[in-house]
Amino acid sequence: MSVDAILFWILTLVVLVSAMSVILMTNPIYSALCLAMTMVGVAAIFVTLNAYFLAGVQLIVYAGAVMVLFVMVLMLFDLKHELQSFSRGKFTGALKIGSVGILAGLIVGAVTIGKSLTEVKAVAENAVVVDTTKILSQNLFLKNIFGFEALGVLLLVIAVGTVALSRSKGGTHARD
Amino acid sequence: MTSMGTSSFEITVNIIKTLAVFLMMVQAVPILVWLERRGSAFIQNRFGPNRVGPLGLVQLLADAVKFLHKEDFVPDKANRFLFYAAPVFALIPASIAYMAIPMSTPLILGESRFLIQGFEINVGIVFILGISSLAAYTILMAGWGSGSKFSLMGAMRASAQIISYELALGLSIVGVIMTYGTFNLTDMITAQMGALNFSGFGYTTTISWLPNWGIFYQPVAAVIFFAAAFAESNRLPFDLAEGEAELVAGFHTEYGGFKMLMFFIGEYGHMMIAAGLMTTFFFGGYLIPYITPDDVYQFGLNNFGSETAAHIFNSAVHFLMYNVKFALFLWIFIHVRWTLPRFRYDQLMDLGWKTMLPWALGNTIVTSIVIFSAAYFSISFPPAVEDVLKQIFKYFTRT
Amino acid sequence: MLETSFLNNIGLEHYLVLSAVLFSLGMAGVLLRRNLIVLMMSIELMLNAINISFVAFSKFNNNPEGQVMVFFVMTIAAAEAAVGLALAVSIFKRFKEVNIRFFEHLKG
Repeated sequence: MSVDAILFWILTLVVLVSAMSVILMTNPIYSALCLAMTMVGVAAIFVTLNAYFLAGVQLIVYAGAVMVLFVMVLMLFDLKHELQSFSRGKFTGALKIGSVGILAGLIVGAVTIGKSLTEVKAVAENAVVVDTTKILSQNLFLKNIFGFEALGVLLLVIAVGTVALSRSKGGTHARD
Repeated sequence: MTSMGTSSFEITVNIIKTLAVFLMMVQAVPILVWLERRGSAFIQNRFGPNRVGPLGLVQLLADAVKFLHKEDFVPDKANRFLFYAAPVFALIPASIAYMAIPMSTPLILGESRFLIQGFEINVGIVFILGISSLAAYTILMAGWGSGSKFSLMGAMRASAQIISYELALGLSIVGVIMTYGTFNLTDMITAQMGALNFSGFGYTTTISWLPNWGIFYQPVAAVIFFAAAFAESNRLPFDLAEGEAELVAGFHTEYGGFKMLMFFIGEYGHMMIAAGLMTTFFFGGYLIPYITPDDVYQFGLNNFGSETAAHIFNSAVHFLMYNVKFALFLWIFIHVRWTLPRFRYDQLMDLGWKTMLPWALGNTIVTSIVIFSAAYFSISFPPAVEDVLKQIFKYFTRT
Repeated sequence: MLETSFLNNIGLEHYLVLSAVLFSLGMAGVLLRRNLIVLMMSIELMLNAINISFVAFSKFNNNPEGQVMVFFVMTIAAAEAAVGLALAVSIFKRFKEVNIRFFEHLKG
């Protein structure tokens, strides 16, 4: 087995186990920490796909900022083990799990059938490992500049909205 | 995975080298602690530890033995898993991030080429920032896992502070990245070789008595980066998390013995990353001012005869130079800790969000405008003004 | 022989299947859990799964557009998390609880 393959399988194991733990842990703080682990694993998977810059951004934005916010909020709430962390109803639960399983099966089936129908060109297999960062930035700032600017506006709106939301005293129906 | 080498000799050396860098980082901590205690004693007109060994140098070994003998205490209300996991996680980000900093010129032995760093990664800065941003989890895990309100409040403060100052830190680096045009730390260092050399607007000026260091291009970024690095590593004047008067000892109130020592190593590790990055970005990394690595190599070749010896000499000299600069910044870290008083929490947040962030943003904008216009426009002055300017340049560029 | 080639040659379909499984896990989380914040974390999980498939397509087709898309997804995910957490905090202030069972009376 090549090193790349071993890396991929180890990372897959890490990502899937920690993703499982996110939805199975009853303590939300453990869920959040497992999700942070998943993010780090996904960043490592980006590295195996030669997307080094994205891996770094994934670490900074997701693992370093978003998940820290989640963990902080959860720790401030200080929820212990929850009484009803899963939805009620055995039948609906089974239905939900079944539908999710069917969805996963459908996608996997589609991927395998699609593989046999169309041969994906293995361009990147033998290509030299090039630094994709420069190409990425050129694409981002030359071709997709409008989307980039729109995202900037979106972030500004979100920042203002979040501050307004967290400072408000509960809107028009506030009792306290 | 060709970065580990092609032959078994290269792979073996690379693995040993990675281990050595990790051990170096961990082993530097006792020396730093000794330096900190002796330095603080020197500043406060005391003796400091001076009993065990020469100048008290072995004090830390004695301390480590003492730490190992301490009772392994867990508070009753603590979450045992997080309580034990937090100190271990404190070590990981610091040691991994430190490995990405280049410490000397590549060592060439025959066919093989070894980088004097744990591993090279092409987007070095982004990687280091990303890994060291994981330190916030350690603090939160320790604070919440201890099950004590002082720990939790200390952890909240510390992680809020780290997140806030990460913005200023990251934005100050953007200007540096634009100046060098690369994310790669080794490329940044090679860009700082030689004499200070401004080119743009159709002119090229060389100031031969100054090295081509980043601080002359990005002074504002250097100041912001250094200040934010203090906050990132939770050192005074930003160690609000550990304000003894209000919070006992912050997130590690409940820790003792060896677990405490691991937090210590993590904190010093962050300090070392900051000092290493400061050296790399703004002070020429391992380069010796006025001398290029080729000169050192030639000197080695003339004096030792063989190429292998010259390469080893080259790497050793540059490694020494890096460590001199590195130690200087570490000493500044320690000196500041024992000189400045602690901020109030609102002052801390004001400084981070209302002062350092706008300055870092402004630096980014000005840098980008200057880089763009220097590359695409050329200024022509009237002859009289140009004469005066030439005189001024001549004054600065005299040899 | 078929087994080892499946284990050895990591191709596009491996990443796609990984992404699909992650996405399904996130979806299961959204359907099954009742804690508002865990719901949001499951949504983040789904977005991450999508990111993996974007980057995989980008690598195996030599097209940087996929990575640019990941940027956009990440930014929007961060924005969504910020607003969602602010909402969760205000809901927690109001109801002292973030389990969605307890504020069903928001209906009508």
